[in-house]
Amino acid sequence: MMKKRSKYKKYHYVIIAFLAVLSVIMMYPMVWMFLTAFKSNAEIRTYRTKFLPVEWTLEGYRSAFERAPVAGWFANSMFVTICVTAAVILTSTLIGYVFAKYEFRGKKLLFVLLLATMMVPPQVTMIPRYLMIQKMHLFNTRWALIVPGLVSAFSIYLARQFIGDIPDSLCEAAKIDGAGPIRIYWHVILPNIKPAIGSIGIFTAMMHWNDYLNPLLMLNDMEKMTLPLGLVIFDSQRSSDLSATMAAASMIMIPMIVIFLIFQKQFIKGMTMSGIK
Amino acid sequence: MCSLLFLENGMKNNRFVAAVLIPGFLFLILFSVFPVAYGLGISFYDYNPANSQNPFIGLENYRRLIHDEVFWLAVKNTIVYCLAAVTANIVITLFLAELISVLPSKWMKTMFRTILFIPCIAPMVGTSTVWKYGILGTDGGLLNKIAGIFGIAPKNWFLTTWQMLLLIIIFTLWADIGYNVVLFTAGLEGVPREFDEAAAIDGAGPVKRFLWIKLPLIGRTFAFVAIMTMANYFQMFAQFRVFAANGGRNNTAMVLTNYVFKMSFDSFDMGYASAVAAALFVLVFLVAMVQNKLMRSDWSYE
Repeated sequence: MMKKRSKYKKYHYVIIAFLAVLSVIMMYPMVWMFLTAFKSNAEIRTYRTKFLPVEWTLEGYRSAFERAPVAGWFANSMFVTICVTAAVILTSTLIGYVFAKYEFRGKKLLFVLLLATMMVPPQVTMIPRYLMIQKMHLFNTRWALIVPGLVSAFSIYLARQFIGDIPDSLCEAAKIDGAGPIRIYWHVILPNIKPAIGSIGIFTAMMHWNDYLNPLLMLNDMEKMTLPLGLVIFDSQRSSDLSATMAAASMIMIPMIVIFLIFQKQFIKGMTMSGIK
Repeated sequence: MCSLLFLENGMKNNRFVAAVLIPGFLFLILFSVFPVAYGLGISFYDYNPANSQNPFIGLENYRRLIHDEVFWLAVKNTIVYCLAAVTANIVITLFLAELISVLPSKWMKTMFRTILFIPCIAPMVGTSTVWKYGILGTDGGLLNKIAGIFGIAPKNWFLTTWQMLLLIIIFTLWADIGYNVVLFTAGLEGVPREFDEAAAIDGAGPVKRFLWIKLPLIGRTFAFVAIMTMANYFQMFAQFRVFAANGGRNNTAMVLTNYVFKMSFDSFDMGYASAVAAALFVLVFLVAMVQNKLMRSDWSYE
């Protein structure tokens, strides 16, 4: 007991107090959103200074579901996110494996090209992509969001970092045993990068679940929209219905926050892997 | 960084490599490289997808760009926004990461890191909508409530000029510092303890130790964070769309990303918008080059 306490010095308490205050400030907007969704609009107008709802009500959520195709948006977001995430896990681990474990001409150049594509702001390419999607007859369909996302430079980069950590001797041993590249990928690479698959999966899912620009460019019909775009449209049409807007905002954010809290470790590992090496 | 990546001796199997990379890179080129060239091509036309004829006009769009006041304002705002927000981000996140990394208990580190990270998980378009009402809202927004305590009349922040850009910077910091706190904390914790302890024995205080021992030793993390944050902030779009879709009062919050969008999808003037996009590309490219020169970090403690 005594030993444990001696680890803390006076300045530690100052730091803890400071970080605690900062944490409250950081959390305030989220908590405000969550609580406002449970207030009625009348209450929002009359009790402006109250933080907690005087009377908890699900009116906001009901109104969001009734006045807009929120359930459909949710389903669209889910569909797009799941398709892209599954595809990206496959493509990025395969391409990452080739970059990490194979020797070939032009490797360095291709890798630099890959990194360079990450630096180009999507707004630079958005007009051509919009025109291309129209020419491919994918405009205003969910495929307009899925097809361009199937290969992701960032995920390839991340997969390459993780696969590079697998000892070459493991691959060589498998090769001597007569395993081909696909068998090495399946039996040696994939089982050894499970945490990486987790972090690539979470990153990709988060990016596409939260994406606003691409749905804004590629979708026209209310029923085809995803949640983030739907939220903006909903807000612009019913700005007086604040409790419903905050209910819709909560519905976008809460699933991701829960997933993050569950898979925190993988997530943070994936991030630091991409940054430190 | 790059030279280190290719030291290992890999396997050889050109057929397999080709079978994976050719489709993969065709895809990347189709959706990431080709559009850059395509966009450059469009910028030489008077292009509107609704028109039946889109004449070639040469450099006319670029000539128009040079005389467009709003464009130059957007360039200025983009640079001001990126420099201010990236600098503030790095100073704040380094400071917070150092505070977190000196805490003795592991669960506390994890807890503070998690709380700071939560805004990063949410879509910016969602959190900016929350801020639009909860923080900046004219009645009921936190900012005006605080102003009310000091007897200041509530203000419509969306009609302000430089304050709006400042508020967007503050929003961006709130929404985004979590990433870099995590990266810097990991970097600082990777610094071997002996260095820090040796300096402490020599009588260096915590500030000195941080600036002269730890900071140089996390050079690689620092370079990565600076380059990625800058690239990321040039792409910021959602919060500008939510807070100031039309550029705010007198275009004081107009940035290049929003200007490209506004020109192409509000006015469908896609030829001109492509010229603006090309300018954005050049700007990002120049900044990346400068950063690359400045941040060649060869520090290592291994």
